[in-house]
Amino acid sequence: MSDATRIQERKQRPTTGRIATYLGAFTIAFWILFPIWFMFSMAFTTREEVRSFPKSVFPFTPFSTDTMEFFLGVDGVMSGLINSIIVAVITVVLSTVISAPAGYAISRYIFPGRDLFRLGVLAVRAFPVVVLSIPLAVLFIRANLFDNILSVALMHTILTLPTTILVISSVFASVPYELEEAGQVFGASPWQSFRHIVLPLVVPGIAAASVLTFVLSWNEVFAASVLTLENRTLPALLLNQLSQSGPAYQFAGGFFLMIPSLIFMFVIRKYLFNMWGQVSK
Amino acid sequence: MAVITPRKKKRSLTPYLLIAPAVLFLAAFFAWPMVQGLILAVYDDEAVLPLVAEASIEADRTGELPQGAAVAILGQQGNTIDGELTSDLLTEQWFRVTGTDPDGADVDGWAPETRIRVRDEASDGTPIGGTVRPVLGENADPLTPIRSEPTERADVIAQLEQRAPVEIAEVTVLEVWFNVSAVDEDGQAIEGWAPSRFIRAFENGEEGRVDRGTDGQFTSRFVEKMLDDRFFGPAWRTTLLLMVLIIPIQFVLAIVMALVIHARPKGTSGFLYVFSLPMGMSDLAVGILFFSIFTSNGLLNSILDLFGLIGDNPPTYLGADTRGWIIAAIVLAELWRATSIVMVIVVSGLQAIPDETLEAAELFGASYWQRVRYIMLPLLKPSLQVALILRTILAFQVFAVVIALGGGEIVTVLANETYRQYFELRDNNVASAYAVFILLLSLASSVFYLRAMRSQNEVAES
Repeated sequence: MSDATRIQERKQRPTTGRIATYLGAFTIAFWILFPIWFMFSMAFTTREEVRSFPKSVFPFTPFSTDTMEFFLGVDGVMSGLINSIIVAVITVVLSTVISAPAGYAISRYIFPGRDLFRLGVLAVRAFPVVVLSIPLAVLFIRANLFDNILSVALMHTILTLPTTILVISSVFASVPYELEEAGQVFGASPWQSFRHIVLPLVVPGIAAASVLTFVLSWNEVFAASVLTLENRTLPALLLNQLSQSGPAYQFAGGFFLMIPSLIFMFVIRKYLFNMWGQVSK
Repeated sequence: MAVITPRKKKRSLTPYLLIAPAVLFLAAFFAWPMVQGLILAVYDDEAVLPLVAEASIEADRTGELPQGAAVAILGQQGNTIDGELTSDLLTEQWFRVTGTDPDGADVDGWAPETRIRVRDEASDGTPIGGTVRPVLGENADPLTPIRSEPTERADVIAQLEQRAPVEIAEVTVLEVWFNVSAVDEDGQAIEGWAPSRFIRAFENGEEGRVDRGTDGQFTSRFVEKMLDDRFFGPAWRTTLLLMVLIIPIQFVLAIVMALVIHARPKGTSGFLYVFSLPMGMSDLAVGILFFSIFTSNGLLNSILDLFGLIGDNPPTYLGADTRGWIIAAIVLAELWRATSIVMVIVVSGLQAIPDETLEAAELFGASYWQRVRYIMLPLLKPSLQVALILRTILAFQVFAVVIALGGGEIVTVLANETYRQYFELRDNNVASAYAVFILLLSLASSVFYLRAMRSQNEVAES
């Protein structure tokens, strides 16, 4: 580590390279943040301001919760929001409960079929959502589960399961097996050493995986639109009303959809690389 | 970061029990539906209508007709309803009547509604009495046959005179079957019976055509229908165009972002959070975000107005005549949204390159650009390959951004057509054909990339 720091220090001379790095960093940050800022200012202003032209771009639009209140008051939005949350929660629970044992198995055991299972999981992950939604909708209609938020949750579980399995297996892999073994040497049963040694170490990682699952389910719009008609989730509702609604509804809705990712990406930022680094291998 | 951990080596059932829930779930909600989806695209379960010798489901087959075949209707007859009773079903009522025959004997048997006129109804509308209809035509038998069962095939147990009063003891509803003759696919004339629900009779009552069949058959009809669809061409061309426009720029941008992070400016973790923000965002939200920029009284025109660059009428970008602008807006939105995931993969790849390697290159006088070109990029190849496959597969699915920015009519993509076929046109089969087409494109491009990368490596090694 000290070598690395030495190199970092040497690099930190104010050279053109340094200036270029900061220029790049701030330019990219601006490119990402400015649209979000604009969307935020449109979501939290008066409805007159949203309709007006030209809009006051710099520095502030008049702050008001008018637009957002209007959006949340529109018929169906509240039930869509509740549906979205229920779907995401069921997805998180199902996905975690099913993935955790599987993730543990592929990180701790070598068994015939392990590579096949891993490969299968990767194949599912690379699969287009669009391709799976139609046949699943047809099956759910036959099973009388159509337009039921449970069917959306099952679909979202399939979408998130592979990612969750791979992330959780990498979380377990980061806890050395020696720790578990040491517990057993000192007389703990395999279950006890798992419960008291491994579990506390992996809970944060699994929680991060759950947060990612929540965001994936919250964001998903294609399958939710295909599988529901009346019991829409929020994104599906928004998608289908987009063409018949005014800018206040659209902008407030758009920003509202972003809120979970803004919060949760902050919560799981440390785990981001563990997750995607592992998953992309 | 993956710590190499010794694994339990002993053979046991435990790992299988642990993966069992995941395997079962994937089998039930992934493998099984996928098989069904493939079948939907190439199998028509209403393709063929069998004709039988008599108006009965047990009768022998006399031949079969494809869906849409023209038929001549020779006659009709009631038969017990096989399957659901729906309101649009062509039905015939049969009455169990009691009365007295011309010889004065008591009669108890069945006759169809064509032979009995109801004259008396109970308070709930149930027919309870009536008379035998008069027989029309000169050569017709003046007596009405009464049968033992409510079907024309049952034995005649008695006969009633016209206008004889009867009491109605029971009513049953039968489905009408048609006796049809037609020319089958092999050019042979066939004749037989089929339930009327499968045949649409024309107004003259003498001709009709097969509406749908009962037996399945493999068919290329749905694939052909997809290929002939007027949106098919625009959809796949636009999908590929977007891919070609987006992916190269995206990879350059992602590598630049990753290099910026790798250079560790002050506040790296803050920049990293900001750079990876769009990754967690809903594609619909991003579509709306760019809509708010490009809509005619949106951000772009407001900024142009600020500098006095537009007059009184702000230009429209997302209209019916501005296809180019819509494509540009979609490209920008996708660049904004999906570059982060590529960046994260590239950063992971960069972190795996040992500092010593780069340091050595620096000591030997390699410039920053040379280090990027000759050390980092070659070592990043596996990461870039993964990112490329991932991005390509996702590019075939681009949907909500396109709907939000273009409404789905002027600019359309494959995922949108799948949705349209399923949702607006209610054609599951053609929707499945689209889905299978997307799947094949995804598989083909993945194989193509893997091949291309491998052969490149082989060239480099030889």
